[in-house]
Amino acid sequence: MNAPSPHPAAVMHPEVPDDRRVIFENVSKFYGEVLGVNRVTLSIPPGITGLVGPNGSGKTTLMNLIVGLLQPTRGALSVLGVTTDRPEELFRLIGYSTQYDAFPPGMTGYQFVYSFLRVHGFGHAESEAMTWKAIERVGLVEAAGRKVAGYSKGMRQRIKLAQAMAHQPSVLILDEPLNGLDPMARAEVISLFRELAAGGLHVIVSSHILHEVDLISDQVVLLNGGYVVAEGEITGVRDEMEEQHPAQVLIRCDRPSLLASRVFEQDHVVEARIHEDGKGLLVRTRDADQFYLLLNQVVLENGLGIETVMPTDADVHAVYQYLIGSNGEKS
Amino acid sequence: MAVYERSYGRYTGLTTPEWSRFLILPRYAYETVFKSRLFVSFFALCFLMPFVGLLIIYLHHNLSALQFLQLPPEELKRFLPINNEFFWRGLWFQGALSLLLVLFVGPALVSPDLRNNGLPLYLSRPFSRTEYVLGKMSVLLILLSLITWIPGLLLFFFQGYLEGAGWIGDNLGIAGALFAGSWTWILFLSLFALAVSAWVKWKPVARIALMGLFFVLMGFGEALNEILDVWWGTLISAWHVIASIWLSLFGLDPSNDLPPAGASWVALAAGSAIFLWLLYRRIRAYEVVR
Repeated sequence: MNAPSPHPAAVMHPEVPDDRRVIFENVSKFYGEVLGVNRVTLSIPPGITGLVGPNGSGKTTLMNLIVGLLQPTRGALSVLGVTTDRPEELFRLIGYSTQYDAFPPGMTGYQFVYSFLRVHGFGHAESEAMTWKAIERVGLVEAAGRKVAGYSKGMRQRIKLAQAMAHQPSVLILDEPLNGLDPMARAEVISLFRELAAGGLHVIVSSHILHEVDLISDQVVLLNGGYVVAEGEITGVRDEMEEQHPAQVLIRCDRPSLLASRVFEQDHVVEARIHEDGKGLLVRTRDADQFYLLLNQVVLENGLGIETVMPTDADVHAVYQYLIGSNGEKS
Repeated sequence: MAVYERSYGRYTGLTTPEWSRFLILPRYAYETVFKSRLFVSFFALCFLMPFVGLLIIYLHHNLSALQFLQLPPEELKRFLPINNEFFWRGLWFQGALSLLLVLFVGPALVSPDLRNNGLPLYLSRPFSRTEYVLGKMSVLLILLSLITWIPGLLLFFFQGYLEGAGWIGDNLGIAGALFAGSWTWILFLSLFALAVSAWVKWKPVARIALMGLFFVLMGFGEALNEILDVWWGTLISAWHVIASIWLSLFGLDPSNDLPPAGASWVALAAGSAIFLWLLYRRIRAYEVVR
């Protein structure tokens, strides 16, 4: 049997077939006259995808559309080949954790996960086994018998995550899942995301904290005012903007003046500035690849001692600033 | 670039029948409800009237007990006959208790899920809005059934057992009236409670709203009748309407204070439809941003 061909809109990992992608085709959602998202065309492959944008940018609307809680006003959308007009099938594929602490009153962590598995249609024995497995994965076995109302913010986030992944979905949609986690718990949860993504799962994570998404995502979708302003791997998005926004690279080395004299000969270099301490050079270039080639050459030819080479505006924060002229922080 | 192997396996086993999933919802609701001692005491009290009914039926068929109590059997049969009126009075009393029970349980059914934005958790599963409403309603449907038609029918069959098989056949209409009359009231009250719970998020306010709507409309309906000298004013009073329906179901003479049965059925159906509409307006998986 032949594998389906990739979707034409697929820009991220084109080798991944359509039936393993979340595909938006010109999707718009309006709440009356209020815009939710507009003309979104996306094709999301497996792995960790970050949805980034300030409040009201359309992150939650996009998530609700994937989950099937909202129907698009225009356009079409499919999740691993399943369209939203087959909700029963769609819901089986998806695990959803909202940004809210939506716990039915009086329930323990175990009951919370277990009861929603029963609602999902699993029998008692399966639900029990799946509940413990999910609780174990998020490290809450000890606290499972305690009421959720007594949980810390971090524990609540983890039990929500357990609830979302307990029924073994193929697409995990997590709205602000790292909020309130301490550094240790954050590291554990991120490692869990990576583990799930490595197994071929789609993990779609929203956040307004840019560096967080930058750290964990294989690819990002940047949203603003209901529009997708950029998508892809952060480095790829950054590369496409080099013409208007030259890339900045900081090189800490022993002879920055030598390096500066070599880079000034290049057409693509817009600016080179030696650090005040005389041990670093900040270069702005329209062709980062060419610059790195030159840097290798200088190192080989002149024995330049390099301490660090660091792109200073290749993170999602800088990308966001360039794209929408805002730092994307929560307002 | 990350390379992903598809090693993750989805669940492929059997699932429970779709129709049974809504019954998961009452499970934890009962746990919460029966934690209240006040509710447990009240719920126990709801069985007092059926117990008294049971005693009366027993006394009707036990001459030695009547002799012991020095009650002449003819007098008992004259003052308290076991007929359609006996069962109608029982339903009337239990119907009033049903309203109080709804005041206890109803306000907390939907409002916590709306307050906590919990609906997406239910509706992002193979679980529809109708199943959600049915699940929440079943909390009331089961509790109200336990104090209305179930004891009513038990008394009916107990009477039939003591009276002889022929009695059941001759009085099947009473059983039908008990069953239909109870369910009509149960469904209406449940929809009423859920609609109020869906629109009023704070439990005590929802309780006051439930009580207020019920009694204020009752008083207002009577006032309308008095002031305008009409009969249709009490159509806005749920208690007048259901009382009229029960009288007609049990084949008893209609009361002058009550609206006609036909109009009452229409009013009850219209009220239920409004509550259902209000409920579906609120039971959505997302907040509409305006």
